[in-house]
Amino acid sequence: MIRDITLGQYYPGDSWAHRLDPRVKIAVTFVYILALFLIRDFGGHAVAAAALGVAVAVSRVPPKFILRGLKAVFIIILFTFTLNMLMTKGEPLIKAGFIVVTKEGLYNAVFMGLRLVLLIVGSSLLTLTTKPVRLTDGIESLLKPFRRFGVPAHELAMMMTIALRFIPTLLEETDKIMKAQMARGADFESGSILRRAKNMTPLLVPLFIGAFRIAQDLAMAMEARCYRGGEGRTSLHELRLRKQDAAAIFLTAVFLSFILLERWLSPLWFDI
Amino acid sequence: MKNVRMAHNGTDIIRIENLIFEYKREGEAAPDRAVDGVSLNLERGSFTAVIGQNGSGKSTLAKNINALLLPSGGAVYVDGYNTGDAEAVWEIRRRAGMVFQNPDNQLVSAIVEDDVAFGPENLGIAPDEIRVRVRESLLSVHMYGERKKAPHLLSGGQKQRVAIAGVVAMRPECIIFDEPTAMLDPVGREEVMEIIGRLHLDGVTVVLITHFMDEAALADRIVVMDEGRVVLDGAPSSVFRRADLLRKLSLDAPLAVELAERLRGKGFAIPDDIINTEEMVEFLCRSK
Amino acid sequence: MPVKVEDLVYVYSEGLPYETLALDGVSFEIADGEFIGVIGRTGSGKSTLIQHLNGILKPKSGRVFVGDAEITAKGVKLAEIRRKIGLVFQYPEYQLFEETVYKDVAFGPVSLGLSQRETDRRVREALSLVGLDFSEFSERSPFELSGGQKRRAAIAGVLSMKPEVLILDEPTAGLDPGSHMDILNMIGEIRRREGVVVILVSHNMNDIARLSDRIFVMNEGKIALSGAPAEVFAHDEFLASIGLRLPPVAEMMRKLRLRGVDIPEGVLTIDEAERALEGFLRRAR
Repeated sequence: MIRDITLGQYYPGDSWAHRLDPRVKIAVTFVYILALFLIRDFGGHAVAAAALGVAVAVSRVPPKFILRGLKAVFIIILFTFTLNMLMTKGEPLIKAGFIVVTKEGLYNAVFMGLRLVLLIVGSSLLTLTTKPVRLTDGIESLLKPFRRFGVPAHELAMMMTIALRFIPTLLEETDKIMKAQMARGADFESGSILRRAKNMTPLLVPLFIGAFRIAQDLAMAMEARCYRGGEGRTSLHELRLRKQDAAAIFLTAVFLSFILLERWLSPLWFDI
Repeated sequence: MKNVRMAHNGTDIIRIENLIFEYKREGEAAPDRAVDGVSLNLERGSFTAVIGQNGSGKSTLAKNINALLLPSGGAVYVDGYNTGDAEAVWEIRRRAGMVFQNPDNQLVSAIVEDDVAFGPENLGIAPDEIRVRVRESLLSVHMYGERKKAPHLLSGGQKQRVAIAGVVAMRPECIIFDEPTAMLDPVGREEVMEIIGRLHLDGVTVVLITHFMDEAALADRIVVMDEGRVVLDGAPSSVFRRADLLRKLSLDAPLAVELAERLRGKGFAIPDDIINTEEMVEFLCRSK
Repeated sequence: MPVKVEDLVYVYSEGLPYETLALDGVSFEIADGEFIGVIGRTGSGKSTLIQHLNGILKPKSGRVFVGDAEITAKGVKLAEIRRKIGLVFQYPEYQLFEETVYKDVAFGPVSLGLSQRETDRRVREALSLVGLDFSEFSERSPFELSGGQKRRAAIAGVLSMKPEVLILDEPTAGLDPGSHMDILNMIGEIRRREGVVVILVSHNMNDIARLSDRIFVMNEGKIALSGAPAEVFAHDEFLASIGLRLPPVAEMMRKLRLRGVDIPEGVLTIDEAERALEGFLRRAR
């Protein structure tokens, strides 16, 4: 069920992490991901894991909830793990027919698997502690300086806002149309892939028409409320950096120096 | 600034002069004339209901008032601004707000208070002032408690109240309601009508387009449209007295009017000004 | 075709924090040819209930019989059930998808695997039942029809399945008074010609009072009250307590009785009201 996917979901709360400026959270997440790719050994992973542990604790999001998000991408992790294990050449450990697992392969697999887990949990923490709408505000504000290079910052943000607003509406609409067509004998569940794709017409046509109707209505409603693009617009939620944001930036800098230090100090196991 | 405000007497906020509106039809030479020579003056602070069957042009008329559509002929003035003047558009839309039929398709944001802020944000109002307006508007439609919620979790009536708050937050002098209750259940309808009534009492000029005669009966003036023209215009009691014409236009008269007419047919003297249930009950009790 | 429902229970989002008991032990029987009105506030379980009657939703427990067939039994052929039970959802015109009215109305029969000849016969019949002239409308795009016509075309798309039970969820929502009456007259006509069971879900108490043989009042997933219109609307205080209004006529009569005017009970329609008030005024003279 769509409901069970916690990845990308918001976890309501009022923790220190929830209250941070969305721009700071996006930047911190960005630095964190960058750091993950600078890590060359498990020592670095330990530093990242420790930092992530602190962030999770501060966010007050139950770890169980976060792990449920991992479940959704478990296949991807498994795939990465297996691929690395089997595809890396080196000193053979296990040999079974054409399957050869090398020492380097096993190391790589664990290393990459771990990186992926740290990456997913870290970035999901951003969406878990930030309302999508605030995230949009943050992205708009961060992109603003790039407007002179032709980046449509406001338009992108407005598109995201509208998408967030209407995804549940369209899901509901899909459910309704599907039921109504089933009542007229439509079959969405059986037959070959080709047949099933063809059977989707009675669902897709009304859905598209519905989406266009929404777009038309919405455009008119926005115009009626004096919408005329980003020029001259103000915002209910002014973004202002506060003490806690400065603290978060400082801690991230400390984290990044630790990662770099560890990378510099540690002897290399393998070159990757 | 070239938008010249026409001199006008202060009592009429909206002046419609011989308005013609035509939709162009693809592949056909003759356009579809939806509004055909309508002249109306709406007094500041008045409550006008516009009724008529589907396709009678009432919704097109409404969209001409706040420059969502522009006249093919004639002119519309809002507070002295001509809707045909491109530079006056924003002045007009901030003065004449509009609430639409579909509660789902007019809310922009996934959070109620952000949605209400949308209009004031567009007007470039300072954030502190927006906050005050959002709070006031949500309180006035009894939705302040739901300010952090996502619209898709609200009932139809609640969504429509949020839409009203979004317009109220722009502090318009006039609000045009385009069948605001058509998609609501009876509870939602009552909630919305209660708020419309209160806005009127607060001095907002209300234009209500509706299919429900009991809603139209609350107005102090009813305009009946058919085929793009105004066919009746007057106080509810005088409009409803023309039950024959209403029926011909597939509009039904309120229950009290219908009953009064039938009883008159049976030879009883029922006063002309009875248009709602309360007045009918009152009259019958006096006859006891 | 009779319909029987035994102790139906349905839970939304089971096992999640927002789990809700949508149907809480609903049982009833409907005899052949009956017209049933279903009323209740939004969220009272009306829509959930009707979706069980043609197997679109499966109950947590309880059974549904249509004729002799138990549609909640394992391995039952749902296509067969959906043929017998026609379900017209709210705003059915939003399901139109074909290039022509003909093709759209034919969608059900084609899905059922009927022959071209039978399909053609069904389409003609269905369009005639909803009052759309075959030669004028069958080759037109459903998207260029007027609001009321679109709705009729969509209803024809259900009627072409030749259902023995016709369920309509708010079939007049959003229509102007003229189209509203047209749709109601059409439902009456279908019932007369086809002898089907009709289940009408509506907020319009006037329509419900005028058309129903029996009314089911839903509240919090249960049938809180059922009976003939006059019986049901006699419980004005109970109805008010669950957020329902009386039909406008009944409301006027109630107000008159409260003021001591001598009006008989059970007056629900305007014709009945006319007679009652005429009687009262004659006595008063």
